[in-house]
Parts: sequence; C-alpha cells; structure tokens
Amino acid sequence: MQTHFDAVIIGSGAGGAPIAHTLAKAGKTVLVLEKGPLFLPQQHAPSGVSDYKRDELLATGAEKRITLAVANRGQSYYASHVEPDLNDEPHIYRETGKFNRRTPGDYATIEGYTAHVVGGGTQLYGAVSLRFSETDFQLHSYNEQRTDLKNDPNDDVRREARDWPLSYQDFLPWYEMTERLIGINGTSENQAKPFRADYYQTPLDPNPISGYIAKGMDALGMKRFRTPLAVITEDHEPSGRKVPRDPDTAKTGYVNRYGDPLGLKSNTWVSLLAPIKDLPNIELRANCTVTQLESDGYGNVNRVQYRDPSGTMRTVSGKVVIVACSAIESVRLLKVSALANHDFDRRIHQNDLLGKYFLTHCFGGARVRVPERFDKSLSLDSDWATEFCATDDYLKSHGLWAGAAIYNNTSDSALPISLARTLDAQDMDTIWKSFTERTELTGDQLLEWLKEDFGTTLSVAFMANQVPLYSNRIELHPTIRDKWGMPSAYIIKDWHSHDVALMDTIARECARILEKGCDLAEGSVQGGGVYLAENGLARIANHILGGARFGKDRRDSVLDVNCRAWDFDNLYVTDGSFMPTSGGANPTHTIEANAFRVAHHLLGRL
Amino acid sequence: MSILILEQAKKSDLIIERDNFDQYVLNHCAKYLARKEGEPRHNYNGELADSDPRAKIADQWRFPIIDSYGDGSGNPACYDYNLVTFVYAADDAETEHRISVVGTFANLYERLPLQQIRFAGEATRYYALSVKVPKGQVHTYKFCVDGEWQLDPINPQTAKLDNGVTWSRFFTQSCAVPLTFERWERVILERLTDHILPFHTEEGERFLKNYYYYLDRDSKEQNYTPVYRLDEQVGVVNYIDKVLAREERHHLIDYKICLAIIDQLLRQRRRGLEPDRQSREVYMDLYRQMACNDVVGWDYHQYGNPRYFLQLVRRHTITGAFSHPKYGGNISGAGWAFLGELFCDDKGKTLFDWRRSIEYPLGLNEEYNG
Repeated sequence: MQTHFDAVIIGSGAGGAPIAHTLAKAGKTVLVLEKGPLFLPQQHAPSGVSDYKRDELLATGAEKRITLAVANRGQSYYASHVEPDLNDEPHIYRETGKFNRRTPGDYATIEGYTAHVVGGGTQLYGAVSLRFSETDFQLHSYNEQRTDLKNDPNDDVRREARDWPLSYQDFLPWYEMTERLIGINGTSENQAKPFRADYYQTPLDPNPISGYIAKGMDALGMKRFRTPLAVITEDHEPSGRKVPRDPDTAKTGYVNRYGDPLGLKSNTWVSLLAPIKDLPNIELRANCTVTQLESDGYGNVNRVQYRDPSGTMRTVSGKVVIVACSAIESVRLLKVSALANHDFDRRIHQNDLLGKYFLTHCFGGARVRVPERFDKSLSLDSDWATEFCATDDYLKSHGLWAGAAIYNNTSDSALPISLARTLDAQDMDTIWKSFTERTELTGDQLLEWLKEDFGTTLSVAFMANQVPLYSNRIELHPTIRDKWGMPSAYIIKDWHSHDVALMDTIARECARILEKGCDLAEGSVQGGGVYLAENGLARIANHILGGARFGKDRRDSVLDVNCRAWDFDNLYVTDGSFMPTSGGANPTHTIEANAFRVAHHLLGRL
Repeated sequence: MSILILEQAKKSDLIIERDNFDQYVLNHCAKYLARKEGEPRHNYNGELADSDPRAKIADQWRFPIIDSYGDGSGNPACYDYNLVTFVYAADDAETEHRISVVGTFANLYERLPLQQIRFAGEATRYYALSVKVPKGQVHTYKFCVDGEWQLDPINPQTAKLDNGVTWSRFFTQSCAVPLTFERWERVILERLTDHILPFHTEEGERFLKNYYYYLDRDSKEQNYTPVYRLDEQVGVVNYIDKVLAREERHHLIDYKICLAIIDQLLRQRRRGLEPDRQSREVYMDLYRQMACNDVVGWDYHQYGNPRYFLQLVRRHTITGAFSHPKYGGNISGAGWAFLGELFCDDKGKTLFDWRRSIEYPLGLNEEYNG
C-alpha cells in the first residue's frame, strides 16, 4: 500500500475534489481520504443500479433515538443514509433558549452535517450554484463609513466585518473554471455581477408553478434570472456525461437531500473525480476516517493518521496536506491534533482564532398556497432568482450591511411523505413532529389537508451574510466523544441583533414576491427568518463556514491568502472554513472556485 | 479440509461476483461496523440486552445488505430479484478464518463460502458473499465460522423453526409474508390505520373501486400476487409488519403491548363481540380517546401513554401508504396512484405523475433502474 504522496487530501467534496482533480491531471501523486463510502450513480456501477435511489426513506430514514448524555436524550431523529449516525458521531450545540422556548442545555443535532460520502455535500445539495456578489468580498470597506445600520448599537458590524484578501475580480477565473468543469445550467443575463464569459448550459423549462414567482418579481421591478443549478441539461464534455434523450428526465421530486442515481446532478464525484479515477497517480480511499495530523517540529505535517475500513490505524504522508472535511469537522480535526501534539498546538494556535468566527447564513423566506395545483414532482430545486436585495441602493435604503440572493424552491414538499413529515417544520431536528401531533388529521380531514397542500405550496427563500462574531465558535465538547473516542464538535453560536433585522427585512421581500405573484393583499403573507424556528440557534442549512478564516494579516486570520495555515509550510484548509464572511448566496460554488485557485497555487510548489 | 475445497469448487449460479465487490462491501459496512470498542450506543428501547455486542453496532438491521439487483445490462427480468450480501466481521484482519453461510435461499446444506474483503490490496476483517434472491421471500440462515455454527452476530432478526431451533432470518423487498403480527393484531391495526387514511372517504372508496378491485385478472395476478390481503388498505399493515421486523425493531414492544391492551378493552366494551366485528364508530371513539391520552379501560400501568402509541401509528401509516412499494406498503404504487387520480387538471392530466420518476416496470422511467 502506497504511503507517500505529493498531496494527501482529506475530504472529497467541494473543498477537496477540485484540488485532487487539478493535481492528478498535472501528474502529481494524490491520495484522497474520505470518511464516507463511494456511492455510485448507475453509469459507474457494475450492476447498473445506483446506491442512490428515488426513495423517500433514503433521504429521511427510519427512526433512531439519541442515547447520548445530552439534553435531548431519548429524542427521535431521522437521518439520510449518507448522514452520520448521531450516536456515533454527534455534533453538540449549546442552546441558550434566547430565541425560543427550548430549555437551555447541550443538544445533539443532525444540523451542520453535509454528507459522509464521496462527493460530500454536493451529493445531497439542491445544487443552487450562485457566485457571491462583488460587495460580499469587501464588507469591511463597504460598511466602514456607515452610520445607518439597523440594530447594531455596539458597532459590531463595522468592527467585525472583514474584506476578503481577494476581490470578485480575483475569483472570476476560478468561478468560470468551476462553471465549466462542474456542469451548471442557468442564465447570466440580469445577474448583477459582471460576467466575462458564460459557461452555463441552457436551463430546462421552469415548473409552471414558478410563473407566480416571475410575475411577482416583475411586478416589484426585481430583475430575475434562471437560478444557476449544478445539473447538466446537455452532454457535458469535461466530465464525459451524457444527457438522456429526454433531458427532462432530470426533473423529479427527489432532488434536494437525494443523491442522483442518474448522475445528472453535478456533484464532485461525477464532475471531477470520476473523470480522473483511472489515472495511475490518484488513489481514492473511501471509508477512511482521519483521526490526527502530526507535525515534525519544523512546520510540516509529516504524518496523517487514519482509521481504515476495518478500523485499523494507518498513516500516510504527503508533501502537502489539504484538510477539506467541512468547516466543523476540519476545525475539530485541527483541534484534536493540537491536543495530541504540542508542536502542532503551538503552530495552529499561533493566535486564538481557530474555530472562532464560525458562520452559517442568515436564511429564511415565505410560503403560500397558490390558487391552482401543479405537479411539483417534476422539477429541479429552483427556477427563478434575483439579486434585488444585494444592490447598493437596496442595502443603503434598508440599513443592511450585506445583501442576499432570493430564489424560489420548486421541489420542496413535492412528495407525499415529505409533505407530511415537514408539516409546520422544515428542518431535520423537528421532522415528523407536527404531523404525528396533529391527530385530528385523519380520513376526511387528512384528505382536505392533502387537497389544500399537495402541489399547491410555493416558497421563496433567501440566503444572506451572517455577521461574523468572535463568540460564534467551534470547540471540542468537554465530555461527549465519537465512536473513535475523539471529542465531538461543540457548536456555540448566536444570532446578532442585526442578523435578526436583516432576516426580518428580507423575509418581507420574499413575502412581497408571493403577494404580488398571487394577487394577494399587501401584508397578507408572513415571512420569517430562521431565528424564529424552534431550534433556531442550531440551524445551519448545511452551510458550514468560517472558523479558520483566511487573510493578509497573521494576527487576524488562521490561514494565509493561499489557505495555508500560517505557521505550517505544508498544511492547507480549503473547505468553507476559510471564509471570513459567509456571502449572500449558497456557498458550494465559491468553495469549489477557491479550491481550484489553491490547487493552482499548489502546482507552483509541487 | 478436503470438504472445504469441495465446497469451494461447487460454485452455485446464485452467487454474484462483480468487479469492485470489495469496494461495494466496504461501502455498505464500514460506517456501521468500524469503531473503537466502546459503549452500547445503539440500544434505543431496551430491545437489546446491554451485554449484546449488537448494541455497539449502528443500524444492525442493515445486515445482510438487501439491495436492488442488476446485471449491468438493464435486463428487466432483474427487477424480480434482490442482491443479498452477507457480511461477517472478524475481530481483526490478521487471522484468516473460514466462513461460510448455509440457508434456505440455496440448496439445503450447501455451504457457500464468504470471501475475505480486501482494502487497497490488503486483507480486512470483513468477509462477504453476495447472492441473488427473488423478491418477496423470507429465509433463514446460519454462519459456519472455522467449523462452528453460529447465528449472524450482527443481524438481530431470528426465527425459531418448528423443531425449536433458532436461525438468523432475512426477508427481501416487497415481502408480504406476515413476520410480526398475529391475525388478531393485524385486524385491530387495520381498523386503526383505516381510520387515519383517506380511503374511506368518498374519493377513496371510488378510487379503490376503480383502480384496485376491478383490475383485469391478468394485471391483478401480475401486480398483486404477493399481497396477502388484497383488500387491506394499500398494504399499510404489511409495511408496519416489516418495519418492526427490521428498521424499527425497537418499536415492536410498543405495538405488542398496546394492541393487546386494545384487544382487551374492546372486548370489555362490547361484551363478547370480536374486535374485528365491532363498528367503525367504536374505533373512532378509541382513536379520539387515545389522542386525548384518556382511554376508558386502558391499562396505564402496562403502557402509560396511549397518545404516544397513536402518534407512532400515524407516522408508520402515512409512511407505509406512500413509501416505495419495496418496503411492503403502497402496493404497486396504489397510494401514489390514489393521489395521481385525485389530483388532475381540467383536461384530466394528472398533477402527480409519479410514474415518470419511478423505475420501470413499477413506473415508466426507463433511464432509472431503481
């Protein structure tokens, strides 16, 4: 078994796969270590059947119960087949009860996982693939002189906002590379960001229910464009994927939170890893969990310890080591390594910022029943998007520090079980709760409810920057350990008062789109931000960002501009943890673009 | 030793050998089985003894692995089979073991050897074998480990044979053989799930009449042969029977206790009348009382929270009615078809075209193989 490589990459998702792809194509020896299994689409499986299915019980499986010594011990949870077992590998978050009625304490949560599988979160994502806006890269400069920000009495925004060390222009070539190599459909016209070239494939026809959205956006003067989605609609030359004779086959109700058995959703396996899998210089070791990085005392990570599929401890080494196992898990791995090794500890903690400024998104939206019924089970995740709430005018006139992308969801609640289990709830911790409790829904009343809600609900969502706070952080939990005996991640986070104001403001815009689109009276639709949810502090939307931010100043960041840990020569972190601010859009596209950028830096030194 | 060689030479055509078999097995077992010896994290409801090593294994019910079967050619005949993969996990990779499986899915007493799974060219502690088994079947099996017979140490499903001997058990998809409930238990559960589902509404009755009862004989035989109770509501009770045998074994105890309490109290309420002959109103009353957690005649010492049980039944009922038919409910997509016929546009075109997404022959999608 080969034990030395040019590059050892931990994680095969959005942060790891672009680097594996780039380095392997350039002839470097590459090892990818992935905790999860290698689940294949049909075209790669010798049997012709995929490990992913159009099966509602794969996305949200059988009931399990939390057996850990936490406040929600005994609570049911329902995970997908590629999410971790919570009792084996828990995330713990601290509930303060500030925004809701939950009793304060430490809770295990399924929030904050992407997916443990080759391809990581890109296997399950809804595939919305927006670039960040120009302002998203410069939120310090943008807000430096402002005195108009809502609900920010302590000036936290001006103190804590950071510019990225690179601009939108710097990211432009990497965005383009990502759009070309991953395989994304969409339209660039009406996007507020400058485009040099358009690599989008042609979108499929929108689901007719999205007509209400188009109407509402138009009535409000919101420039709209087809939501860029990482789903191929045409044959994709870079990955060699072919589209079925009827490209509409990609449309189904099994979209968000489902792996795609047909391989049309562009995850990092089908787009980046499968095309290089037969090269002699790359090896993918799936089902291998990295447990510790060791340093040699001179600024190099010289050994990567991992558990092989039998659970046996093994080690490998690489000229460079890239950590990309999603922000929470990457921070945990670095902190666990620091516990075991003094030199590693000293170097990774050259300041106290590792794990700090953990970020997710401010998100939320609004939802209505439309007057007609549609077949939502033939759709992709989203049809229309707008950057109306990301323009300078909008932000200045509403006293907001940063903007948001708004887009509609078309595939949500498209199938009968998902409709029932997400009744009055949209998140994974409270799934099924309302349906089981509303015992009056039987027979005739159940039928009435189906008639009201099946194929008639339409939602609009927003994704916005969260104010970075030092106190929002990932630590190691003092008592809870995973199945390997390693301390679990402890998530401590809160919503800033400006976040709350921002969510209220933009949720209202989502509601207005629906009011205008459906000819409803102004103010008749209620929007809301995620902070209002029962577990609003835990909610992460699987956008796991920050905690190891990059920057130009070693005193103010964990990573340098190339995403190298400051006091190491060969240690890089390239998942969402590098982000100093979370961006006003879904993060996968930017994580991939950044990983391509780092990959090209690495080519210069390997 | 000579016996072993003989066995290995006798390759049965039910054994499926594939490229990347090792990778397939590791993909489906490492997450659940690989761990440092530790606490019993996976015993939810006292369904396992704390000393049972299974309590240290996540999702024990996933073993043996029951998967779709395909031969790579897209041959539709494959749809009638499952790929069943037995996995045995030894303590370590170093000592080599001789593992075989004997079961009712193969020739009687034919020992089929499990092969040691390799990872990156080296031995692992896992041994596995894949076989092709028709859907809808129940089988018993045992492992032979270095000459010693034993039950599957991972799979908690067992069956006691007529001679009193216990074997390990598995069942394939779309299975309609009762595994969990006695007839009297099924009867009560059918009445309860009846009350929850919308099939006794006007629209529901019409659908059942048109779609379900009056199918021509051929398609009835083709589509519904495996169903043990055709008139049962789209197979929900069969789904519950199966989910309690496998994925949610920890809830078996809730059902066993509560159905017995209900049986008793119904007999008390209508003296002498069998629960299955009691009126719809009786079950409606019972449902309402359970929803309020205030049931006349309920034995609260035995089971303190009838409302909790009702909530469990609600979740299982809706899941059984609308999950993929391979789980035992929603027979031939009847639950989906109900929605598909209920919801049409003014030209009669369905607004839930489930067949478009679902694999042929259950649905109409010929790209997706299921």
